[in-house]
Amino acid sequence: MRDNTLKYVLVLPAVMVVFATAIWPLMESARLSATVGRLNRPGSLDQYIGLENYTWAFFEEPAFWNSVWVTGIYTILTVGLTTIFALGLALLLAPGGRLRSGVQTLLILPFAMSPALIGVSFRFMFNPEFGLFDAFFGAVMPPLADVSWLADPTLAFAVCVMADVWGWIPFLTLVLIGGLASIPQDTIEAAQVDGASGWRVFKDVTLPQLAPVLAVVIILKSIFSLKTFDQIFMLTNGGPGTATQTLSHYIYFNGMKYGQIGYAASVAWLMVIPMILLTYLYARFVFRKD
Amino acid sequence: MAEVILKNLTKRWGDFVGVDNQSLDIHDKEFLVLLGPSGCGKTTTMRMIAGLEEPTSGEIWIGERKVNDDLPKDRDVAMVFQNYGLYPHMTIFDNIAYPLKVRGTPKADIRPRVERAAEQVELTQFLGRKPKALSGGQRQRVALARAIVRTPKVFLMDEPLSNLDAKLRVTMRAELKHLSRELKVTTVYVTHDQIEAMTLADRVAVMKHGVIQQLGTPDEIYNDPANLFVAGFIGSPAMNLVRGSVKDGHFITVDGVRLSTIASEDRNEVILGVRADDINVHEAGAGDIDTPIYAFENTGEASFLTVVWGDQRVIARGDRHLRKEQDDVVGLTLNPDHLYLFDPATERRIHL
Ligand SMILES: Nc1ncnc2c1ncn2[C@@H]1O[C@H](COP(=O)(O)OP(=O)(O)O)[C@@H](O)[C@H]1O
Ligand SMILES: [Mg+2]
Repeated sequence: MRDNTLKYVLVLPAVMVVFATAIWPLMESARLSATVGRLNRPGSLDQYIGLENYTWAFFEEPAFWNSVWVTGIYTILTVGLTTIFALGLALLLAPGGRLRSGVQTLLILPFAMSPALIGVSFRFMFNPEFGLFDAFFGAVMPPLADVSWLADPTLAFAVCVMADVWGWIPFLTLVLIGGLASIPQDTIEAAQVDGASGWRVFKDVTLPQLAPVLAVVIILKSIFSLKTFDQIFMLTNGGPGTATQTLSHYIYFNGMKYGQIGYAASVAWLMVIPMILLTYLYARFVFRKD
Repeated sequence: MAEVILKNLTKRWGDFVGVDNQSLDIHDKEFLVLLGPSGCGKTTTMRMIAGLEEPTSGEIWIGERKVNDDLPKDRDVAMVFQNYGLYPHMTIFDNIAYPLKVRGTPKADIRPRVERAAEQVELTQFLGRKPKALSGGQRQRVALARAIVRTPKVFLMDEPLSNLDAKLRVTMRAELKHLSRELKVTTVYVTHDQIEAMTLADRVAVMKHGVIQQLGTPDEIYNDPANLFVAGFIGSPAMNLVRGSVKDGHFITVDGVRLSTIASEDRNEVILGVRADDINVHEAGAGDIDTPIYAFENTGEASFLTVVWGDQRVIARGDRHLRKEQDDVVGLTLNPDHLYLFDPATERRIHL
């Protein structure tokens, strides 16, 4: 065998695995999205209806738009809050920051928990009878005692956001600490000597140099927020009503619960649009030449 | 316009003493060089003046004000960092303009002042570039321009020339000297390069292990070293230091070589210091001591002869036309007006 042939033979198994686990399901879901695709109706998986599933989602399904809305607000809030808290923590924990670095180890803890577990534990903590948070909020603000957090649409949404932010802060903080550590210390000291206040040093020198890392962090977190499923599933299961139903959850409900697999596939493909955009941005920042 | 006064300034990290109880008066408009080997506490001293490092104890005064509790931004100093500390995301113009901007200089004043500073360091054509697009020497000049764009009370410069190649360093040294005499601002300049110190300084503070060994003009440091360390550190080649004793007005090496008459009482153990320049080279028989050459080096501008007495080497500087070979015998005479004696125990100079 020639070297050239050999090298293709050697990568073949890997290519086949990728094809079987990624490419083929993708293609199959694209195909399904163009069919009636009812799990409980034999033959409907091969019954093609063109783009009807897509137009259905767009024009006939308020629940679709509800979950687009929920996902959008959820993404904006979680990305914004996580980034701000993580940046603050990173500034405190980075070399030259005010906190001892021993805290850094503690920080990784929430990230070591699976999102589903975070969902369960938050559900416990907000339990009106024996929940920790519930007791805490009740003690601090008596009117909040015995509020059924997860039964109120707005509060349930807030709890979901809180759980997400709490779970993601550590990872973002660690990445940002790395970013801060790579900023040359003498640029910061030069700015201090040049006459800049702490805030101006941050705004004029630290932040611009951190910007590429910050951009990557925001894009990554946006991707993760858009896909959020397991936490919501464990915490509120989309409820009350559809108040916390993200797109992933909506897809799951339609596909698995109602058996509308064709329709679910089409919504999944609609979700790909913002994902591709974000992935493109991500790749641009990560592989940028500068 | 300000003097800088350090009073019993100490910096410790745990048990390690970086700067040890240092007191120093830096006069108004003076160019003071902190000179010493790497790790002796020069940068630490300078960073404490700038406010980037907090002293363990002691006081720092700039002008009439004790600045220990002032933030760097309130000390009104300008600093040139060893690695320049340029803002990589800003253009050269914005780099130089930054101290003016943060101090609220009116917009209309900024441009002419930046342009003037850029002109002084010959950077005008690079103002639109980013630091990355400049060479080391150019970056160094940006750092300098950023310091001189306003008139601070004190300039602080931490080995600003050490990252430049040898040739550029000589050029920039002259530029710096010219600039400093024009600007007339109190300057503290840190270097481990004694030539830089000698050429730039009004006064030099020679440091070792966090302690100032001697403070004086370059002339005083060179011609009147206070101890063995200063004697050995200043001058190139380093001053010859020969162990021996003084008997009946003569210095005799430990190996019994009678070197020279010397105006000193009898002493058992002393170290004689003599610079290569102060050893005259003659033909054999015409000097005080006849001795074979261990190595002969010709640099073009001078010739250097190494001779060996016992285990002690001595270097003499000869005329640039002198041509000798190894093992040739020459006669050496030590200039009796420029001999130094040191006490080997205390390492201090014994004044004759
Ligand atoms: N942050 C620090 N922690 C501990 N030791 C330090 C620190 N900064 C400097 N030192 C030590 O203090 C000594 C003096 O350092 P420095 O002032 O930078 O020396 P120089 O500028 O004369 O080369 C060195 O031995 C250095 O290792
Ligand atoms: Mg240093």
